[in-house]
Amino acid sequence: MLAFDLEYEIASPRSGIEERLNVRLGGLGQRSMMFAHGFGCDQNMWRFVAPAFEAEFRTVLFDYVGAGGSDLTAYDPEKYASIEGYADDVIELARTLGVTGGIFVGHSVSAMIGVVAARRAPELFATLVLVGPSPCYIDDADYVGGFTRDQITELLDFLDSNHLGWSQAMAPVIMGNADRPELGEELTASFCRTDPEIAKRFARVTFLSDSRADLGPIDAEVLILQSREDVIAPQIVGEYVHNAIPGSELVMLDSTGHCPNLSAPDATIAAIKAFV
Amino acid sequence: MSCNAGIDFEELFEAAPCGYVLADRDGRITRANRTLLGWLGYTGDALVGKRISDLMPITGKIFYETHFAPTLHMQGRLNEVAIELVRHDGKRIPMLVNAVADHNGQGAQPRLQFAMFLAAERRGYERGLLEARNKAEAAVATERADAELREQFIAVLGHDLRNPLASITSGIHMLDKESFTARGKKVVTLMAGSVVRASGLIDNVLDFARGRLGGGIALARNTNEPLEPVLRQVVAELRSVTPGREITAHYALVEPVDCDHIRVGQLLSNLLGNALTHGAKDQPVRFEATTTDGELTIAVSNGGDPIPPDAIERLFQPFFRGHDRVRQGLGLGLHIASEIARAHDGTLVARSDTIATTFIFTMPLLRLTDRSD
Repeated sequence: MLAFDLEYEIASPRSGIEERLNVRLGGLGQRSMMFAHGFGCDQNMWRFVAPAFEAEFRTVLFDYVGAGGSDLTAYDPEKYASIEGYADDVIELARTLGVTGGIFVGHSVSAMIGVVAARRAPELFATLVLVGPSPCYIDDADYVGGFTRDQITELLDFLDSNHLGWSQAMAPVIMGNADRPELGEELTASFCRTDPEIAKRFARVTFLSDSRADLGPIDAEVLILQSREDVIAPQIVGEYVHNAIPGSELVMLDSTGHCPNLSAPDATIAAIKAFV
Repeated sequence: MSCNAGIDFEELFEAAPCGYVLADRDGRITRANRTLLGWLGYTGDALVGKRISDLMPITGKIFYETHFAPTLHMQGRLNEVAIELVRHDGKRIPMLVNAVADHNGQGAQPRLQFAMFLAAERRGYERGLLEARNKAEAAVATERADAELREQFIAVLGHDLRNPLASITSGIHMLDKESFTARGKKVVTLMAGSVVRASGLIDNVLDFARGRLGGGIALARNTNEPLEPVLRQVVAELRSVTPGREITAHYALVEPVDCDHIRVGQLLSNLLGNALTHGAKDQPVRFEATTTDGELTIAVSNGGDPIPPDAIERLFQPFFRGHDRVRQGLGLGLHIASEIARAHDGTLVARSDTIATTFIFTMPLLRLTDRSD
């Protein structure tokens, strides 16, 4: 019998979840507050928001596998082909850190990752803060997601053919930051660093996902933060999420665009503080 | 007198050779210069109040919102971002954009500034490069798949050839018991020799194909049984099929050798086969197997023309066949021998001068490291 089967090395994570996800712990509190970034960026998204909660909570920041300072070798295309795989990591990380009854703050696609995680492991998070959530980006019958299927297909094609210069823009950029001395050189180099191949796959997971079935009654208290003129997650989608989760609270932020955590950190902090 | 005198900065901004946009922290345009308005087919204040992402197609909007704007806010600047802007008439223009988030004064809201450059030609060039790269990658992938298929085919063919060869061997054994004329006897001996050579070739081809397919040369080590009888068997086999050629053998194997006996036999067979084929026909092939200083050494030498130095370097490459292309078969024998040496943490080297060509295999008697294979 001849053995022609090539033996592929199965991607087996070499390190623990904290190393894999480049976890940064901060804060002095007992109760944990976990911040999860969205597509296209990394934990730095929370740099203007997370410090405001350090006095009261233990803050947990991390990068999903493929983003920022995460362990790229831990990227398993099969596991991360759906939101579930990312939710698995959130659950594993929360359990490793002994989180119970914590707060999960998820931006963009992470909002739904948090909902999925909280549904699967209700003991972990008592509070969910969903910043710019969208359970489905593509319009479907009466549902308005904000995008047509063709537009999303065009996006994925563009990412595939790299016409946007995604990888170029994604590559670490080292440059001086005279205007923002608080941002060190080292940090500057790693902002929103993302492996271009993984970014493409993550785009697919994010923009083709349909998690509407994961909404509905949930044990955790839910706060939805909605920006004005958010092309990624329009107001109508925020309202849909609000209506689909009984008892949830919807707060309209005085901010424009998809990243209020960056463009309007003070309003974002105030809205979260009023809720938790 | 200031050297700025006479410069109309207003006009420098408006007529700059690049598009220039000022926006508030949310990317809402507060001012756009004439150059950009012209490129996009607008006039006057048509762009004021729009968001910068409003000028982008949907793909650009998503890219801007999820990556461009966040990075700009955190990093303060972002350069050479490739993006498209949509003209008033719907046509898209490829651009390269540099952007700065300007924090003037304490606590002030950042002001965003964008400098935009036409990049249609550059984008065309990049697209050409991308297409060329994709084509090259596709060609390499096809070539690789073909090569793998070819090697699998060779391996399967080699494997299947063994069965008829085994039948021929038993046929020859049966015939050997019959009484023959002298001529008949000679023919049977020649046939037996051909079978040995064919088997050797098949073994080499199979090993080569396996090596290429990622299997490598697997060893079944055996320290308990002596190596010498295996080597003697190889020598006897080759003697019997090359009547008229002299093979002198010297054995000094005083210590056990931790090796795959069959593989070391195959190595010797390949070296002797090589020496018999390429060595001078009127000179003996000499063979020596010794254990000294913790090493097994097997040396095979033959007389004849020396191997040129440049050829020595390539002797162990697969399919290397020197200048003598007629008699040399596939050129796998020495390659497989060197692979067997390597699998044993040993070496196989060749030396050649006008007196003799010698191949020397050495390997440690004991395994260097415990390996699970």
